Amino acid sequence: MSQAERLNELRELMWSAPESDSARAVALIFSFALVVAVLWLVRRQRLREEYTPIWIGTAAAMALVSVHPDILRTLARLMSAWTLSSTVFFLGLVFLVAICLNYAVRLSRANLQIKNLAQEVALIGARLDRMSRLEGKVEY
Amino acid sequence: MPSEPWILIIPAFNEAKNLARVLTTVTSTGLDFESVVIDDGSLDDTGAVAARSGATVIRHPFNLGYGAALQTGYKYALDRHASLLVQMDADGQHDPREIPELIAPVLRQELDLVVGSRFIEPTDYRMGLARRIGRELFSGLARLNGLKVSDPTSGFQAMNRTTLRLYGRDFFPTDYPDVDVLLTAHRHGLRVGEHSVRMSPGVRSSRLHSGSRAVYYVYKMLLSTWTASTSRRRRKENGL
Repeated sequence: MSQAERLNELRELMWSAPESDSARAVALIFSFALVVAVLWLVRRQRLREEYTPIWIGTAAAMALVSVHPDILRTLARLMSAWTLSSTVFFLGLVFLVAICLNYAVRLSRANLQIKNLAQEVALIGARLDRMSRLEGKVEY
Repeated sequence: MPSEPWILIIPAFNEAKNLARVLTTVTSTGLDFESVVIDDGSLDDTGAVAARSGATVIRHPFNLGYGAALQTGYKYALDRHASLLVQMDADGQHDPREIPELIAPVLRQELDLVVGSRFIEPTDYRMGLARRIGRELFSGLARLNGLKVSDPTSGFQAMNRTTLRLYGRDFFPTDYPDVDVLLTAHRHGLRVGEHSVRMSPGVRSSRLHSGSRAVYYVYKMLLSTWTASTSRRRRKENGL
């Protein structure tokens, strides 16, 4: 048997290894806790509803994968990953990078809005000063 | 003052020390400008000094940045239906006595935007090696895009209302509006040119372009210049 064939066999062996029940239970508990945390934050008005779908979706995906680990196994095969855990870590990283980028875009938009708003406030202030000066109410 | 006033904007951040002298020099030129100081969230008496000197003061509620302060001035000028705007720095490096020559090409309707350049004619203005390389780099990038500009970091500029309408838009940077905005103006079909001026070394440039900020400045300017040079070319006949 060639080295490549042996490696493939080893990879198949790792893919078909049964998942531990405790790992699946932890994933389920974590996804449930995530949903609870999101709902609690929304109820306390510390998280806006529009930001919740991504986190509820993440929790649902985690729960789905822990109930049906074959989904993860299929993904690992598609990605030619060696282990299911490395697949989870890789997908987790991709998700985090994507969400950071998304928030950077939102932050940029918020910065622009704050800048425009501050300029508008300053301009209104100047307009009021001017009107007051014209009416002779303000002396510098 | 004409029905469409001429406006001189001076963005200022903690410039109480220099501002009175600058405004006195502006007044002594006898130019028919409304002087507007944009107090960019100063912690000193910048706003009060400007008001005592007779200038209109626009106060930012907090520090927004040099570019944002300029843009507030542009927006004010648009609001006042100004036909001409001159911008200069508050640190005294620009000489208001040069304004008549700076605005002449705009008044003759030859140019939409005039940049006061230190490097058209030989002057005693000295620049460090790093900044000289930066200037050459960004001037070169502008030239590649068909814009001839020898002093892309000059804050001494004159412009007409068409330019103001463009500069009032959201693309205008809040920090360093240099060659990238000139390039954007050029790509929008505005006529951008230069006029030789003399400047004394100021503190704004050294503050903005020194230390680790210089590295970020080069990075940011390369990125924004690329953005400006690859943006869709538009003509001013199309309403910008």
